[in-house]
Amino acid sequence: MINLVRNEMLKLLRKKRLYVIILIIAFLVPLFTYAQFKEIQEQREKLGNQDWRTVLQQEITDTQNRLSSSRIQDEWRKYLKIRLSQQQYYLENDIDPRAPGAPTFMRIFVENSIDLLLPLLVMVIVADLVSSEASGGTIKLLLTRPVKRWRILLSKYLAMLLSVSFIVLSVAVLSYGISGVVFGYGGWNMPLLTGFTVSGDELLTDHVHIVPQWQYILMEFGLVWYVCMIVGTLTFMLSVLLRSTAAVMGIMLASLIAGAILANMVASWESAKYFFMVNLNLTNYVSGMATPIEGMSLGFSMSVLAVWGIAGFIIAFVTFSKRDIY
Amino acid sequence: MSQVPALEVDNLTKKIKGKQIIKGVSFTLVPGEVFGFLGPNGAGKTTTIRMIVGLISPTSGTIKIGGKNVRTEFTEAMRHLGCIVENPELYPYLTGWENLEHFAKMDRSIPRSRLDEVVTLVGLTNRIHDRVSTYSLGMRQRLGIAQALLGKPKVLILDEPTNGLDPAGIREMREFIRQLAREENLSVLVSSHLLSEIQLMCDRVAIISKGAVLRTDSVQNLLAEQERVIWKAEPLPLAKQLLSEETDVTEGADGTLITLYNEPLLPDWNAKLVKRGVRVKEMRTQLPSLEDLFLEVTGGESID
Amino acid sequence: MKKYTLTIVSIVSIAATLLWLFGLGWTLQDQFSATKKMEQPKVKTESSTAKKQEGTLTIFALGDSLTRGTGDADGKGYTGYLTDRLKDKTNQDINLLNTAIKGETSRGLLKQLQQSEIQRQTKQADVIVMTIGGNDLFQQGAALESLDMNAINGKKQIYLNNVKKIYSQLRELNKDAVIYHVGLYNPFSNMPDASTTSSIVRDWNFQSAETAAGYENIVYVPTFDLFQLQVENYLYTDQFHPNTEGYKLIAERVASLINFEQEEKKS
Repeated sequence: MINLVRNEMLKLLRKKRLYVIILIIAFLVPLFTYAQFKEIQEQREKLGNQDWRTVLQQEITDTQNRLSSSRIQDEWRKYLKIRLSQQQYYLENDIDPRAPGAPTFMRIFVENSIDLLLPLLVMVIVADLVSSEASGGTIKLLLTRPVKRWRILLSKYLAMLLSVSFIVLSVAVLSYGISGVVFGYGGWNMPLLTGFTVSGDELLTDHVHIVPQWQYILMEFGLVWYVCMIVGTLTFMLSVLLRSTAAVMGIMLASLIAGAILANMVASWESAKYFFMVNLNLTNYVSGMATPIEGMSLGFSMSVLAVWGIAGFIIAFVTFSKRDIY
Repeated sequence: MSQVPALEVDNLTKKIKGKQIIKGVSFTLVPGEVFGFLGPNGAGKTTTIRMIVGLISPTSGTIKIGGKNVRTEFTEAMRHLGCIVENPELYPYLTGWENLEHFAKMDRSIPRSRLDEVVTLVGLTNRIHDRVSTYSLGMRQRLGIAQALLGKPKVLILDEPTNGLDPAGIREMREFIRQLAREENLSVLVSSHLLSEIQLMCDRVAIISKGAVLRTDSVQNLLAEQERVIWKAEPLPLAKQLLSEETDVTEGADGTLITLYNEPLLPDWNAKLVKRGVRVKEMRTQLPSLEDLFLEVTGGESID
Repeated sequence: MKKYTLTIVSIVSIAATLLWLFGLGWTLQDQFSATKKMEQPKVKTESSTAKKQEGTLTIFALGDSLTRGTGDADGKGYTGYLTDRLKDKTNQDINLLNTAIKGETSRGLLKQLQQSEIQRQTKQADVIVMTIGGNDLFQQGAALESLDMNAINGKKQIYLNNVKKIYSQLRELNKDAVIYHVGLYNPFSNMPDASTTSSIVRDWNFQSAETAAGYENIVYVPTFDLFQLQVENYLYTDQFHPNTEGYKLIAERVASLINFEQEEKKS
C-alpha cells in the first residue's frame, strides 16, 4: 500500500498542480494582507484614536443604530443582534478580537476562505486524480496489475488526503509567513472567546470560554481540513464517475458557488440545510456567527458533511471496482 | 498438451444493455505459442481482450491465466499477465524509467534488477531517463512492451501491436514477438485486423466476427484452403471452358480467371491448356484477402 | 533532488494530516463538552483605566437621533458641525466620540451607561454633549396627538427621574468635564395645536433645566427659541428631525458655549 501511495504522490507532484496551488496562495496572501493593512490604517485615520475599544464601541453603536431602523430585514436584524452581543461580550471582557498580528490574519484569512477559496484549491488538485487516468488511457495499465481495484483507488484516496493536508498546511505557513512581514509575528497567546451557541435570535453564552489564539487557530484549521476533505471526497467521487476532468471541475465549481449564493438567500427554505455546500462555513460556529438557516449547528453541519462524504466515498469505491473500462 | 494451458477462455459472453456483444468465445493458448486474433474492427476483439485482462467483467464464461481464474483469483492471474491494450498509454509527464518504476512497485515480486533487464531487452537504454512526452510512437510502443514484460509473465497480450509503426518498425516488432515466444516460452495473444501481419507472426489464428469465433486453426491450414491461382490466358473463353472441366472457375476483374490452388493438379491443368492452343501468359498464386477469407468462412456474410 | 522532494512532501503531508486531525479532535472536544465554564481572563490585556490623550480635546457625545445626526444630509449632525467649528476656532486637535443611538430614551441611555466601555470613554472625555428626552416625550411624534396631560405628566416624572440618575452617573465618572445637555424644540410649532404642544415642550425644558441646575457644570442648552419661528425651514422631510440648517444652528449655539468655557478655564 505504501508503494501505491508513493506512486500516486509521485504522479501528483510531477503534474505540478501542487506547485500551482502554492503559487496561487502565495499570490493571494499578500493581496489580502495589503487589504487588511489598508483597512486597519483607514480605521485609525478615521477615528484618530488608536484604542481598539473605541473602534469596537463605535461598531457597536453603528450596529445599534442600524437595528433601530425599521426598514431592516428580520434575518439581518437577527444577525446584527448576535454580532452585537458578541462584540459587547468582547468589550466587557477586554478582549480585542482583531488585534493585528500574523496569527490574527491567519485566523481571519482562513475563516473567509473556508467556504470557497480552499474548496476550490482542493478541487483543482483532486478533480483529475482518477479522471485523468481514464481520459489518458493509463487506467488500462493501472488496472491490469496484480493489485485489486479497491486498493488502487484507496491509494489514490490517501494521496488525496495527504495533498489536502499539504494544501491546508501551505495556507497556514504562507499566510503566517507573508502577513507577518506587515503585522509582526506575535499574538499567539491572545485570548479569544468561543463556544457561542445561537438559539433563535439569541446568543447563548453559557458555554463561552476563553482559549488562546494558537489553540483557536489549530481548531479552526482542523475544521478547515475537515471541510476540504469532504469537498475532496466529493470531487474524488465525480472524478471516478466522469472521464472528463473539465466536467468534474465544472460540476464542483457550480455547486460550490451555488452554495455561497444559497447561504445568503436560503433563510426561508429550510430543507436547503441538507445541501453540503451551505454547510461549509464551520468556523462560523466557533466564532459564534449567525447561521444561514435556523436550526443549524456545528454538530448538524458536521454530520451533514459526514453523510455526504461517506456517501461519496462509497459510491466512488463501488463504481470503481465494478465498472467496465472501455 | 498435458501441461496447464497458458490461457484458457471458455464460453465467454458479454451482454451490454440487452445486446449480446460477445457470443460464447472459447480458445486456448499453449505455452510458447503466438496466437492471432483476427477480425475486422468492431468484431469484438478488443472487448474479448479487455475481458481477459480484467478491465471488463464477462456476463458469463471463465477465463484462466496460468490456471488461475481472473474473476476469483484476480491478483494471482494478473501476475502471469502482461498486456498492452490498444495504444501503450503511459504517463507522459514521467520519464520512461519512472513509468517502469511506477508499475514495478505495484507488484512486490518484481526485483529492481528486472527494470534494467527489460530496458536492455527493448533497447531503450539511451533514452530511458527522458520524459515519455518526448518519445516517438515506436519508442512508446517499446516502453509499453517493457512494462508488459516487467512481471515475467506467462501470457503476453498485444492489441494491434503494429498500429502506427513504419514498415521497419513492424518487422522489428514481429521478430521481437517471435523471439520472445521462442526464447522465454511465452504465449502471445496478438489481435489484428491485418491478415498479412497475423500470417507472418502467428502459429494459430482464431477468426472472430460479430462476437463469435468462426474458425480456429493453424495459419497454414486456413490459408492453404483458400489459396487461389490467377490465370492470364488467350483466348479467354476457351481457357475458361477448359479449366471449368477440371475445377471451379470465376472470372476476375481485368480479364483474368481465378481457380483454387491445387498443387498436385496444377501442372496438368496447365499442360491441358497449352495442348489445346491456349497461350498462358501468367500464372500466379494469391493469398486470399481477409475479406475473401471472411466471405468464405462466414458463407457470404459481409464484414460489417 | 527530485527524489527528495517526493519524500519531503510526503512526510510533511503526513505530519500535517496528524496535526489537522488533532485540531479537529480538539474542536470536537472543546465545542461539544458542556462542562466548560466561563473563566474570567486572568490578566486584563491592557489596563482599562482612563488615559487622557494630552493636547487633544475629546468630545463625548451620547443620546438619541439628534446626536446621531438623523436628517442631516451629510450625516454629521450637530456634533459634526460643532467639531468643525471648534477646529476652526482653536488649534487643538478635537476627537469626537459619538455613541448616540437612534430612538434612545432616558431609560435606554441609563442602561447604556452601565457598559464598561461607555464608562471608560466618559472618564476620558473633556466635554460631554448629549440629547435625551425627545423620545420619552414624543415617541416619534405619536404621543402628542392625544395631548393627554396625565399621560404626559407620568412620562415626565419617569424621565426626570432617569435624567437625575444619568447626571449623577456621569458626574461620578467624570468630575471635570462640562456636560451640555441640548434641550428640546417643538417640531409641531406650525401645527394646529401649536400653543398646547409648545407649552408642553416649554414645561419639559424648564423642568429639565431645573434638574440640571442641581449639578455642577451641567449646562442645559435651550434650542426652543431656534426653532420657534420658521420651523419648517429647519426641519427634515420627516417634519421631526432637524435638517442640515437646523443642526448648524444647534452646533453654533453649543460651540459658543464651549469657547466661553475654555476661555474661562484659561483665565
